[in-house]
Amino acid sequence: MPADWDIWAVSDWVTKPGEWRNEVMEEGPEELSTGSRKRERKKRRQARETGFKCSALLCSEPRPRCCRWYHIVAMVVYAVLILNKAGGLIFQRDFNPGLQKLTSNDYLILAGTFHGVHAITSQISPTNETGASGLEVLESENFVMRCFQTLTGTKFLVFAEPRQPNLDVVVRRVYELYSDYVMKNPFYQIEMPIRSEGFERHLSAYIKPHQ
Amino acid sequence: MNRDTSPFRPASTGASPTPKHASLTASTNLRYSLTRKSIYDRHLNRTKTSELSKSAFAFLFGEMVQHAQKKVYGVQDLEKKLNQHGYAVGQRFLELLLWREGRTAKRETRILGILQFISHSLYRAIFQKPADTLEKVRENEDEYMISDNDPLVNSYISVPKEMSQLNCAAFIAGIIEAVLDGHCFPAKVTAHTAPSDMWPGRTVFLIKFEPEVLEREGLRHGST
Amino acid sequence: MVVFSFFIFDRHCECIYLRQWLDATTPSPAQPLSRPVTASSAATNTTSAVEKPPAGNKLSMAEQAKLVFGVIFSLRNMVKKLCGPDDSFLCYRTGQYKLHYYETITSLRFVMLTDIRTENLKSSLHQIYVNLYVEYVVKNPLSPVEHPGGEGVNNEMFELGIDSFVRTIP
Repeated sequence: MPADWDIWAVSDWVTKPGEWRNEVMEEGPEELSTGSRKRERKKRRQARETGFKCSALLCSEPRPRCCRWYHIVAMVVYAVLILNKAGGLIFQRDFNPGLQKLTSNDYLILAGTFHGVHAITSQISPTNETGASGLEVLESENFVMRCFQTLTGTKFLVFAEPRQPNLDVVVRRVYELYSDYVMKNPFYQIEMPIRSEGFERHLSAYIKPHQ
Repeated sequence: MNRDTSPFRPASTGASPTPKHASLTASTNLRYSLTRKSIYDRHLNRTKTSELSKSAFAFLFGEMVQHAQKKVYGVQDLEKKLNQHGYAVGQRFLELLLWREGRTAKRETRILGILQFISHSLYRAIFQKPADTLEKVRENEDEYMISDNDPLVNSYISVPKEMSQLNCAAFIAGIIEAVLDGHCFPAKVTAHTAPSDMWPGRTVFLIKFEPEVLEREGLRHGST
Repeated sequence: MVVFSFFIFDRHCECIYLRQWLDATTPSPAQPLSRPVTASSAATNTTSAVEKPPAGNKLSMAEQAKLVFGVIFSLRNMVKKLCGPDDSFLCYRTGQYKLHYYETITSLRFVMLTDIRTENLKSSLHQIYVNLYVEYVVKNPLSPVEHPGGEGVNNEMFELGIDSFVRTIP
């Protein structure tokens, strides 16, 4: 088995937390038994020893803490916001309780403020590298926010429980859903608020409310 | 249209560029080989099993829907337009499909036969899967239904609430209508959304044959 | 760990202390930096100190302090709005640097810019407040109550303390 196959399998798994059991079944005739668990552990150990950083999983956790089980167990996403390139709010959706309820006007103000702050954060970079990126992760006592800006200027903000290791994967998946179910929808007007039923359906299927 | 995309590209072998033309375009970096082997010169069967990006199709179809939306008044009109687009595709595609079947191809003469052909051969050739169900409408003698749980053309489309009647699978309805017409079974085919719990995008194609089709069916095969 | 710069803002939203450590990886100008650049020293000898940053497109430090304050002020309000008044903003990270924030009950704000691999420095900033600011600035009988222009903060003890403290942060 090629070494990087392992990482692919892992990252695949991470993107589809709900389906992990099926994937094990597909891998071979074995059930999810102690045997396959052992195999998993061995694979993980191999990946560690061959020097794979967990960044291969788009994960910022130190490696020993990061494993499949860990990724699957914890995923509480509070909310997802999408900002267009002018800083206007085009999508807002709460998934789990954890953030305050704001009025839609407050959300619009918040989006505008964040848009400005994001621009400034890239300006005050103390290093001399060119092409400084703006704010990527914001942490507070009660939540962590991951901001991802596409090359076209659209921003995806994902709010989650603090110390979420796999937020990058979540953001990436939201971006994927956006480019599928929003940008490929002929009835969507670009830069306008998203009212796409397919997008909402797939998004809430991916970010399930936490039980 | 995972496998076969022939409706979306000219499938005629006659349109090959002349050598003079080829040398002209070579300077503009267009992909014409000097040996006159452009995509127009390929054998028709060569692309039978090749695949096409679903995204590329989704964008193309999306543009088509937007274009169709420009000069229409209302949902009915838009569906009619999509149906016409599909009809043009279907006419050409039927020809190709029968040609590819070669000696085994036969002209269907019975209603059930042609419906089987559509829900299996045609569907398989376009979408690489058969249609999900084929039913007869109980109340009406001349109506049949073919259902598709998740039509490929609709996979990325979310119809806004104010146009809830619209179903962009009218395009596929147009293809089906053309195939029926090509077999001399004139009919009206319409697409309707019929969501179920499992399949929110389930679509039913309602096929209503013209009376003369049923009359002919009765004469030839006896009224059973 | 690399510490890029350190700011203190008082309750009047004014920058009362500002300190920059030149990044070791970037080519620094030839002039020896015997004394650290502070807002007050920048105010006294404006000719040389303010325009110190090496790169041409860099903002002057006073301007940078204003921008930093704008950012932390907005983010702090944003966090409070989203998660209620009990929540507090800790840090943020971009691709290039990480900004740590600590606010005392007296609305004194400590900000530190470090490289991105640094863990959260809230406790370190708290240590600076307790062990250095309170000890050398608040308890200093010569220091005024308010610090317009950084007066009273930039005493030698405090600066030496900061310097050695930053070196001990893992």
